[in-house]
Amino acid sequence: MKRFKIKVNGEVYDVEVEESGGFSCASAPAAFPAPLPAPETVPVVPSQEPLPYDYAFFDAGIVSSPMPGIINNIYVKAGDIVKPGDVIAVLEAMKMENKIKADIAGTVKEVRVAKGQAVNGGDPLVIIG
Amino acid sequence: MSMRDKLDRLKELRQLVEAGGGRKRIDKQHEAGKKTARERIAALLDPDSFREIDVFAASEDDFSNQKNPGEGVTAGYGKIHGRKVYVYAQDFTVAGGSLGRVHADKICKVLDMAMKVGAPVIGLNDSGGARIQEGVDALNGYGEIFFRNTMASGVIPQISVILGPCAGGAVYSPALTDFILMVSGTGQMFITGPQVIKAVTGEKVSMETLGGAATHNRVSGVAHFITGNEDDCMLTVRALLSYLPSNNLEEAPVFASMEPAIDRETMAGIVPDDPNKSYDMREIIRGVVDIGQYLEVQPYYAQNGITGFARVDGRSVGIVANQPCVKAGSLDINVSDKIARFVRFCDAFNIPIITFMDVPGFLPGTDQEYGGVIRHGAKIIYAYCEATVPKVTVIVRKAYGGAYIAMCSSSLRADAVYAWPSAEIAVMGPEGAVNIINHKEIAESENPVEMRKKLVDDYRDRFANPYIASARGFVQDVIDPRDTRSVIIDALNNFSTKRETRPRKKHGNIPC
Repeated sequence: MKRFKIKVNGEVYDVEVEESGGFSCASAPAAFPAPLPAPETVPVVPSQEPLPYDYAFFDAGIVSSPMPGIINNIYVKAGDIVKPGDVIAVLEAMKMENKIKADIAGTVKEVRVAKGQAVNGGDPLVIIG
Repeated sequence: MSMRDKLDRLKELRQLVEAGGGRKRIDKQHEAGKKTARERIAALLDPDSFREIDVFAASEDDFSNQKNPGEGVTAGYGKIHGRKVYVYAQDFTVAGGSLGRVHADKICKVLDMAMKVGAPVIGLNDSGGARIQEGVDALNGYGEIFFRNTMASGVIPQISVILGPCAGGAVYSPALTDFILMVSGTGQMFITGPQVIKAVTGEKVSMETLGGAATHNRVSGVAHFITGNEDDCMLTVRALLSYLPSNNLEEAPVFASMEPAIDRETMAGIVPDDPNKSYDMREIIRGVVDIGQYLEVQPYYAQNGITGFARVDGRSVGIVANQPCVKAGSLDINVSDKIARFVRFCDAFNIPIITFMDVPGFLPGTDQEYGGVIRHGAKIIYAYCEATVPKVTVIVRKAYGGAYIAMCSSSLRADAVYAWPSAEIAVMGPEGAVNIINHKEIAESENPVEMRKKLVDDYRDRFANPYIASARGFVQDVIDPRDTRSVIIDALNNFSTKRETRPRKKHGNIPC
């Protein structure tokens, strides 16, 4: 039994992977005579690292609205410390409460919108520095 | 000259080729965090399985092979998980990996051989561009590669790995292939570089911001995978190939079946009762696929939709899903392109498609309409209609309007459509529908707010459920969420022998 910590969109999942005796091929077993080493039998997600937002990306820290909608709630104010994945606002759009999350770790520099305000897709909502 | 002398001479020449651009340039490559062409091939393939072709290929004026050993590209074939693959790796240490006539010939030969035997091709790209000294011969070389990439499309899987610069016309070979992987920090792709952009438009932009891995994985959608280093990148290529058949006439390899990561009982509690609350569709996918056997394609691009390869009961499937926690899971321009291309790949390579639907509709807005969401959205419909592989659809929650039809509904020839009891299948959501149907009634009522609420509730009770669609036969069965995996496995087994043909034609004309 192997344990992996897998991070998807900032949320960490604990995953247990059990080895089940190598690479089996029902249709042509003769084609795979040697059992393969364990890591290869389980081509898991670890190679898919979370995107490194915090370097070399031009809009890191500018959290903008993904689509037109109304700001339902804001959970941060200037000076608050956030980490990637923290829910900082809720945007109501397409009859759904969409959680807006911080993309990088840092301090909230500026909150550009107020509760109840209508926003367009691409409008900056919160600036994290 | 004795045989011994001849062998010594051979050894000497071979060493020369294998040394590439020499110690100094190799050190420089390593300092940049990059491996040499041969090191990359070794990291990619099964140990000692590489067989090189055209080892002594050289330009006309370079018979002793001294000027540009290997002509800036190492080519051949080998094995991944014991299965045959073809590979070429551009060698940045030799003339900057620049592409001349012989360089292009070697790549073309790899593509021709791969087509002949029906094996995937992996191109490891690290090149400064065309070898200017060779003029139009170099340009023609690109054209010859493009032609072969196009001919091989849908016949053998083609994978491009961007491990260094890939600029100008050179980007179109990767763009024509099925998947592009980029290494963060070293791989860059662009048509015109920062200098040209500055000269023409005055805009200042760095190479990494313009065409780095993050940009192409998140903003442009050109690339499909991003990794932090070359070793992880090679592992991702190996993982990706484990889901694919070697060519369009074969089936993907079958692995041992494993239980999913999320158990039956948890599956019933994922979708919130309040239709305005979102959830992560990946949880549902995890409750269906074999544990760990899931490789998402374009995970950072158009995240309102999910595309990925997985194994269910040990067999490869393509997963397509709406993602309610991003843009409410609505369909827009970018996600349409992402889904359509993925569906077409799966269809070309005999990989069944499972669609998880929770779609409120197409994203409204002027930027969407001006951007041509009509012609982009049409691609999803086209791709699903065209696909003849087994298609199984699970309607998890919302299935509204044209987006419901587009996400592999029964009218697009899904082989089986299942709905969870939480499904809402209707022409539009209750609020919108009531505003249109009962707008007079509401306006004339003494208490419009109260009236509207009552009508919305009525509509929800009557139409926002899976039973009307079921009554018409658009939904095969309403299933317990806890049984989703077993129902899907059963459907895949049932439809594995499916035979469906399409009219003969030269080719269709997909909107784009």
